[in-house]
Amino acid sequence: MSVNNLLENWAQFRHFHPVDDKPHDPYKWAMSIDLDACTGCNACSVACYAENNLPVVGKEKYQHGQSMHWMRIERYWDEDGREFPDQGAQFLPMMCQQCEAAPCETVCPVAATNHTADGLNSQIYNRCIGSRYCSANCPFKVRYFNWYDYPTTDNVWPAEMTQQLNPDVTVRGKGVMEKCTFCVQRLSAAKVTAKNEGRIVKDGEVQTACQQSCPTGAISFGNLVDPESRVHKQWQTQQVELDKDKQDKDEEDSGLRGYRILEELRAYPSVMYLERVRESAV
Amino acid sequence: MIDSGFDRRDFLKVLGWSGAAVALSGCGNTSIEDGRETVVSYSEPADYVIPGIGVYYNSTCAQCDAGCNINGRVREGRVLKLEGNPDSTINRGKICGLGQAGVQHHYNPDRLREPLLRKGDQGETISWEKAYGLIAEKLKGVDGEEMAFLTGGMSGHLKVLLGNYLASFGCKNHFVYEAVSPAVVRAANKKSYGMAMPRFSINKAKVVLSFGADFLGSWISPVHFSQQYAQFRKGVDGQRGVLIQVESKMTLTGANADRWLAIRPGTEGVLALGIINALGTATGEIAAAVKDYDRARVSAETGIAPGQIDKVAALLKLRSPSLVLAGSAAEGYAHGSQNAAAINLLNHVLGNMGKTVEVSETIPFPQMAPSLGNTAALKSLNDGLSAGKYKVLFSYAANPVFTAPGALKFKEGMAKAGFKVAFAHYLDETAMQADLVLPLDSALEDWGTQVPEYLATCAQINVQQPLMEKLHANTRGMGDILLALLKQRRADEYKGYEDYYAYLRDALLKNKSALGGGKIDDDTFWNETLTKGIIKLEGPVGSLATKVGAAGLKLPVSDDGDDQYPLHLIPSVTASLRDGRHANQPWLQESPDPLTTIVWDSWVEIHPKKAAELHIVEGDIIEIASRTGTIKAQAYLFPGIHPDAVSVPLGRGHDAMGRYAKGFGVNPFQIMDAVFDKETGELAMHETRVKITKTGQRVIVVKDEGAAGGKQMGKKIAVRLSTDDVDLSEEV
Amino acid sequence: MHRSLRFFVLMMGLFLVASSYATDASQAALTTDDSLGPLVEQPFEFPHNRHANDMQIDCMYCHTYARRSAVAGIPPLQKCIGCHQSIDSVRETPRIKKLFEYWEGSEDGKIAARTPVPWKKVHDLPDFVRFNHERHIKRFIEQQNRPTQEACGYCHGDVKDMTVARRSKPLSMGWCASCHEKDHPVTGEGGVAVGNQAYWYSFQKPVVEAAGGAVKAKGPNDCWQCHK
Repeated sequence: MSVNNLLENWAQFRHFHPVDDKPHDPYKWAMSIDLDACTGCNACSVACYAENNLPVVGKEKYQHGQSMHWMRIERYWDEDGREFPDQGAQFLPMMCQQCEAAPCETVCPVAATNHTADGLNSQIYNRCIGSRYCSANCPFKVRYFNWYDYPTTDNVWPAEMTQQLNPDVTVRGKGVMEKCTFCVQRLSAAKVTAKNEGRIVKDGEVQTACQQSCPTGAISFGNLVDPESRVHKQWQTQQVELDKDKQDKDEEDSGLRGYRILEELRAYPSVMYLERVRESAV
Repeated sequence: MIDSGFDRRDFLKVLGWSGAAVALSGCGNTSIEDGRETVVSYSEPADYVIPGIGVYYNSTCAQCDAGCNINGRVREGRVLKLEGNPDSTINRGKICGLGQAGVQHHYNPDRLREPLLRKGDQGETISWEKAYGLIAEKLKGVDGEEMAFLTGGMSGHLKVLLGNYLASFGCKNHFVYEAVSPAVVRAANKKSYGMAMPRFSINKAKVVLSFGADFLGSWISPVHFSQQYAQFRKGVDGQRGVLIQVESKMTLTGANADRWLAIRPGTEGVLALGIINALGTATGEIAAAVKDYDRARVSAETGIAPGQIDKVAALLKLRSPSLVLAGSAAEGYAHGSQNAAAINLLNHVLGNMGKTVEVSETIPFPQMAPSLGNTAALKSLNDGLSAGKYKVLFSYAANPVFTAPGALKFKEGMAKAGFKVAFAHYLDETAMQADLVLPLDSALEDWGTQVPEYLATCAQINVQQPLMEKLHANTRGMGDILLALLKQRRADEYKGYEDYYAYLRDALLKNKSALGGGKIDDDTFWNETLTKGIIKLEGPVGSLATKVGAAGLKLPVSDDGDDQYPLHLIPSVTASLRDGRHANQPWLQESPDPLTTIVWDSWVEIHPKKAAELHIVEGDIIEIASRTGTIKAQAYLFPGIHPDAVSVPLGRGHDAMGRYAKGFGVNPFQIMDAVFDKETGELAMHETRVKITKTGQRVIVVKDEGAAGGKQMGKKIAVRLSTDDVDLSEEV
Repeated sequence: MHRSLRFFVLMMGLFLVASSYATDASQAALTTDDSLGPLVEQPFEFPHNRHANDMQIDCMYCHTYARRSAVAGIPPLQKCIGCHQSIDSVRETPRIKKLFEYWEGSEDGKIAARTPVPWKKVHDLPDFVRFNHERHIKRFIEQQNRPTQEACGYCHGDVKDMTVARRSKPLSMGWCASCHEKDHPVTGEGGVAVGNQAYWYSFQKPVVEAAGGAVKAKGPNDCWQCHK
């Protein structure tokens, strides 16, 4: 990206997506997570470690809050002072929400995080200088910084463990920010196959690692602008629109479960959650 | 400010010089790595090997005994990641976190690479020839009675070979031991249902009432049950399934329940009878048995409100079919069999037999059917060892020095065996006590067949094939080792087999027609079998008992008296750590416990009310003392536990095994009392009574949830809807 | 005090200047024209001119994986031996003898049999760049029917005039991006636009040619395409 290009296109990189003359076409990757099906088992989190070369930081660094789990499972209890959590817990898989108006994109001093044409928030490791402003701005706190040189100094992958590393994903060194990428390496591979055959990627053809692993199938991932895709149908039936900070259906009790987290902050996340349900008759 | 000295112009000059210099040096492309790296091409690759494109092989996961079928992604001859096999009826393309960690087991830096012979406190590397020679020497003149072979659960051709090996000595001492196993439930099922493991169709039930069965976490076949659970939530006839969990300490399944009932430890059977009473539909013998279990009494004994008992009974009556499961919480007591029997009774009374409790098949090759592990076997072995009965002890896929209850004093007993051989992947606690340790191939580089205990849809044999070349030159597959040992005893029978691969191939081809390959030639059948990874069969279908009596059902009056050791210790089984055999896989150590979010360490869960009584705060190091021993762990205030109980997770507290396992956490197995279920002789895991005292030390608990401790601070982050307010009819 | 401060800052400045040169000491002498890479010493000289020019062997005969994978690949040893085991006329020449040492093992035992030749990588992009050969082959050779040697030559230069391969293009990001900024037709077979292919890559709108209505667009300029 030359300085010229950057200056010319700065305006485009720094505003809300999509814009009218560049609609999401033909891809807008989005996700929908059914919290009633999510059991909190952490399979998605471990699958992400396996797929994306995530370093295991160890107990001491974990205590300092330097864990690197791109996908984490948050667990919430009811806060009404009940003696036992007799309606269970709430589990929330939280990862980069790939916001359309991402607060992290606007503050990177070197434009290392941008918006791609297919609706993802990109993180370019070789451009990142480690200012960490993006993670400070992220309301979901899903950005993780490489405080240490995990591959070499910390020897996180001793001996044969380096052979397990995924060659399609960069192994990050010290000083760069990283986050969930919606398994962009898988998306690229699927797009290449599709382009070779002269078509676009079909629904279900590409799966993110978390989606592929989830034993209950709580995670749905796909192309939001493909009317045949499961994700599109889910967003549509739940009446959740990408470019609104307050959904019309929330005006009155619609009985629909779909919502996005911290929607009022106008980050326009690409992940919709379906509320957990609890039986009233027992 | 500075008048004569350094001024702005000078400053800018300096800046300009350095700036220019840096700019100059930045000219040109300094990133292209001309001629620095060596590129190693292939020598004679197969046609389908294309650098940059993965090859996928099917195999079977060996991280637990559910027998999920996996698909491994292999790039440039290295297996990178495991996925579920989409054609599997067990896991249907899905895989749990424990399964993913299979690659970390395979590439583990602490895996054994060479046979080791004990020399005092050290291990000396010896050759395989010497090792086999030594075994032959030590077995010379040893009677079948004087040798013992301890294994974990086994099935498939490996079980056949082992059986043949032991038969060659006339040895009947094959002890199958699993520290965490639903052995009491199996026995109770056999009595109540006519089958040890019928098919539990969670997806056909409208209500699931689980007494401590953690089917989403670590019970029997969690990935399969999780899938069924997803269907269950979508609903039968459009009505969303309801999950009620009854246990003294919240498991992962309990955290997903619509209603979680904290029950006084040990009284699960009482509640079951109370519900049958409240249903009011039982007749005859059963009605007589539950006559005295009215709401008031049941509520007093279990601690569950009478209104709640009514609600549960009403729901079960209204929504049929339902499914009632007896799990580890129910069976972990000296009267565990009675508890399980009472709970199983509910399925009969509710008319679930044949609807959600269904017949399952068994495989038509009984010699390959799984040998199921339990603790009674370990006790038997321990008795023999303590009596000095065994001259030679073999150990495979078991780590009793770590997992045996402390009261058995297994380590001391094991020392009395004459010659101890361990077949192991790591130098775990048991291998550390052995005289000869033989290194095994990992599950991802070995051949085998496996038959799961829980057959999800049909009878099947899982095929295990290597996903890549052996990592370490000197490890061997257990099948190859058994074959070599068999050749020592029955050379004529086995000399025709060069290795275990040849044996397996021959064995499967011999039965080609029975395995569905009658019409195709040998090579095609073999290749297809390996490609699919699963052999689906039709096997004999068991039969379900249609009626059951309540004779002999006698639940003890709840005891509460133990002034010295007032609390129940509930050792919890987490999905990633189980009995601790995978503690050296770092992903699992760093994967937060779903309920407490704690990593890399053990903890003791205490109810906040109890903690307040004892002035315990989070992070206090607590000493937990049983009659058998003491352990220390950090306190964690956890609302999901009965105030009369404390819980410490199993699986940590290794003092050997490897860098990621050693020194992390404490081992509750150590302090378990030797209390056994009266009917089956199984270890009653929840019967250990403890007392807790503060040590005065406090640490910061390392957990994922952060200081807010799982609070949403008034924001809509993860909320829930009541079924009254939700409309699920339009959902995709 | 101010004098010594000024002196100190000037020295710091000089130090920075000097060190910015020193850090790249291992780099070859910098030229303003970056196109020509250094002569890379290989285990033995492979004469591309003999194979690509004299015998007109298609690039992809040896570099097979180019049209199937992201990596073009150095041919496996078997590919060389496959032809050369039957070419008696050159069997005893020094370089072919060296080749067969890798296949059969050397007499002094230093090279085992079936050892792939340890070539030094000439066109080696830094690790943070991922280049996909397959897409480029598909675009230039299959879709636009350009001759193979010409298409490969865009980036690898005129290989048929080289003995040992030598980098003759800058391969810098700006150089790659300059090609991506040219308009390429994005129609499929029969001139039919494939999906909304125009939008697949770039932030720039596609251009519809007035005459003929062919759709052209620029190549991808989405950072994540190449820098995953």
